[in-house]
Amino acid sequence: MPQVPLNLYLELSAVLFIIGVIGFLLRRNPITMLMAIELMWNAGNLAFVAFARNYIDMSGQVFAFFVITVAAAEAAIALAIVVMVFRRRENADVDDISIMRG
Amino acid sequence: MANFFLSAAPLILFFPLIGAATIALFGPYVHRSASAFIGCLSVGLSFLLTVGVAFVILPLPLAQQAQFDHSHFVGYWAHIPPYLIISFRLLLDPLALLWMLIITGVGLLIHVYSVGYMAESKNYRTFFSYMNLFVFMMLLLVMSDNFLWLLVGWGGVGLASYLLIGFDYERPIAVLAARKALIMNVIGDVGIMIAMFLMYAHFGSVSFQNVFNNPAQIGTSALSWIGIWLLVGAVAKSAQLPLQTWLPDAMEGPTPVSALIHAATMVTAGVYLIARAHPIYDNAPLAAEIVAIVGGVTAIFAATIGCVQYDIKRVLAYSTMSQIGYMILAVGVGAYAAGAFHFMTHAFFKALLFMAAGLVIHAIGGEQDIRKMGGLASKLPFAFWTFLIGAIAISGIFPFAGFFSKDDVLDAVLTFHHPVLFVCVLVAAGLTAFYMFRLVFLTFLTGPYRGTHEVHADADRTMTVPVAILAVLSVVGGWFVLPHHDAIAAMLRGSFSDAPLPQAAEFNVGLTFGVLALALAGIAFAWAAYQWRPQIATALHRSLSGLHDLLFNAYYVDVLYDWLFQRPTYALALWLRDTFEVDAITALPAAGVRLGAALGELANRWETGYLRRYGLTFVVGAALLLFLYLFLSHGSAAGAAP
Repeated sequence: MPQVPLNLYLELSAVLFIIGVIGFLLRRNPITMLMAIELMWNAGNLAFVAFARNYIDMSGQVFAFFVITVAAAEAAIALAIVVMVFRRRENADVDDISIMRG
Repeated sequence: MANFFLSAAPLILFFPLIGAATIALFGPYVHRSASAFIGCLSVGLSFLLTVGVAFVILPLPLAQQAQFDHSHFVGYWAHIPPYLIISFRLLLDPLALLWMLIITGVGLLIHVYSVGYMAESKNYRTFFSYMNLFVFMMLLLVMSDNFLWLLVGWGGVGLASYLLIGFDYERPIAVLAARKALIMNVIGDVGIMIAMFLMYAHFGSVSFQNVFNNPAQIGTSALSWIGIWLLVGAVAKSAQLPLQTWLPDAMEGPTPVSALIHAATMVTAGVYLIARAHPIYDNAPLAAEIVAIVGGVTAIFAATIGCVQYDIKRVLAYSTMSQIGYMILAVGVGAYAAGAFHFMTHAFFKALLFMAAGLVIHAIGGEQDIRKMGGLASKLPFAFWTFLIGAIAISGIFPFAGFFSKDDVLDAVLTFHHPVLFVCVLVAAGLTAFYMFRLVFLTFLTGPYRGTHEVHADADRTMTVPVAILAVLSVVGGWFVLPHHDAIAAMLRGSFSDAPLPQAAEFNVGLTFGVLALALAGIAFAWAAYQWRPQIATALHRSLSGLHDLLFNAYYVDVLYDWLFQRPTYALALWLRDTFEVDAITALPAAGVRLGAALGELANRWETGYLRRYGLTFVVGAALLLFLYLFLSHGSAAGAAP
C-alpha cells in the first residue's frame, strides 16, 4: 500500500485550521463558532497523528486522545454558557454580548 | 599588697561606671546626698587604686614595667583569626598612669566641689551620674591598649561633655553650645576612624603593640597620613585651630564641668593621643611638624583673644586653648615629657582657676561678666587668694607650677629649632600673664563692686577644701622638675624610651629669666592699665577699636564658619525642601502613577467585549510568535526540516 506522504497530511491540517480560524472570525452565531473551534482542534489532532505515524512514535496518537477529551469538556462548558445566554436574551449573537467586557 | 593593687586594676576603670549606673538606676529612690556620696566615692576609690598601682609599677625597672602594660585581659571586641583580632587589655604604662592619676585625683576634687556648687540644682543626681560616666569614659580612653577602645572612650567623653554642657537644658543657648561641641567633636572622631582604617590597611591591626612595633616599615607617606588624621581627632578634642570654636561656648555648662572636662582632662586627650602615638610622629616628621605648627599658632591665637573677653569663664576657656597649644607644640617637637608635665601642672592650676571663679560666680548669683564684678577681694578673700595663686601659676612666676612646666616646653621648642613657633609661644607667655592679671584686677581689685547681685560669701567646706588642695598643688606641682632632677621624664621613661629626643629638661638660664621678665612685664602692664591708670585701657580701647573688635569676636571664625558651612547647608536644605522635594521627590511617583493610568487606559481600549476581535488578536499574536520563533531560531534556514 503506497504511503501517503507526511506533507499532504500537514497541508490538509493547515487548510482545516485556516477554515476553522476564518469560520471563528467571520460567523456570529456561537454554535457555528464552536464548530469552527472544533475544526481547529481536529486540524491539530490530524497533525499529531500524522507525525506519530511518520516517526512511528505512539505518543502523538495518545496526545490526540487527550485533545479529544479536552475538546469535549470545552464544548460542554461552551454550550452550557450559550444556553444560559440564550435563555436570558432570546438571542445568541456574540456581538450583542460585548456588554460583558471588563 | 603589690599583687592586690595589680589584680584590682580593672576596678579603677569600672568603679566610676558602677557609680554612674547606680546613681542613674537608684538615684531617684534615695536621698540626694546619697547620690553625691556615691559619685565621690567611686572616683575616690579609683584614685586610691590608681595611686596604689602607680606605687607598684613606677619604681620598677623599665623592662619589668613593660610586663604590666598588657597584662589585664578583659575581653575580645572581635576575634576573627587570622584577619582581625581586637582584644581589650588594660594599659598600665607610665603615660597612662600619669593621666589616670590626674583624671581620678583632680576628678575627685571636682566631684567634691560639685557637692556644694550644684546643691541648688534640681537635677543634682543626674549631674553626678553624668560626671561619673565622664570619668569612666576618660579612663577608658587612657587605659585602652588599642585605638578602637580608645575611640570608644574618645566618643564617650564627647557624649559626657555634650550632656554636661547642655545640663541646664532649659536654656536654649546651653543646648546650642552642647550641640556645637558634639558636632565639632564628631569631626575629630571621624578623623581617628580614618586613621584606624589606614592602620588596618597597612599594619592589619589597630593595637598599640602591633602598630608601634615598627611603624617605619610602611613608608613615610602612609605614616604621615595616619599622623595627620590622628591630629584631626586631637585638634577637635583639644579645641585647637581650626576646630576651636566649640570650647568658649562650652562654658555654658556648670563651672565644675568646665573645670573637669573643659580644662583639666578631656581637652588634653589630644595631647595624650599624640604622646601615645609618638612612634608614628617620630617616624613621620611632616606630620609632627604640622602638629607643632597647630599647637604654636593656637597658643598665640587664643592668648590674643583672651585679652579682650569680658566673661570670666570665656577668658579661662581661651587660656585653656592657649595652654593646650603649648602642650600640642611640645609633643609636636618631640618633647613628650614636657607636654605631659605641662598637662599635669595645667590640670592643677586651671582647675583651681575655674573653681575659684566658680566661688565668685556662686557668690554673686551666677554673674560671669567681669564688668559687673570688681572690688571682690575684701568680700571673697578665699576666692581672691586662691585665684591669685592660680593666676601666678599660669603666668609662670617662680616658684609656682606653671613656671617649671612652661619653661620646660619653651626650652624644648628652642632646643629643637622652631624659631617662629618659639617667638609665638614666647609672646603668648607674656599675653597669658597679662590677661590673667587683667582678670585678677577687674574681678577682685579695681574700684568698688559694680554688680547688682548681693555678695553671699557662704561657700561651704566641700567647695573650699578642694580649692585649697589645688592651690597647694599649683604651688608645689612644678617641683617635680628641677635642674638635674626631672622626675616627670624619669617617671615617663618607660613610655618614651624609644623616642629619639632626650626627654629630660635642660635648663637654659637665659631663657628662664627672659620668660620670667616677660611674664612680669605682662603683669605690670595689666596692673598699669586696669589698676594704676584705668585711662590707659580706655585710651587703648578707643585707638585700637578695630583690633579690639577683631579679637573680641575671636577673629570672626564663627562668622566665617557660619558663612562657609552653616548658610550653604541651610540654603541647600531649604532648596531641597521647597523645590527638590516638591518637583522631584513628589513629582516622580506622581508621574509614575500617571504613566500607569495612561497604560491602563490604552489596554482598556483593547477590552471591547467582541469575542471575534479577541480571536483575531489571538490569531495575529500566534502568527507573530510563530514567525519570530522560526526567524530567530532558524535564521535564514527558516522552516528547514530538522
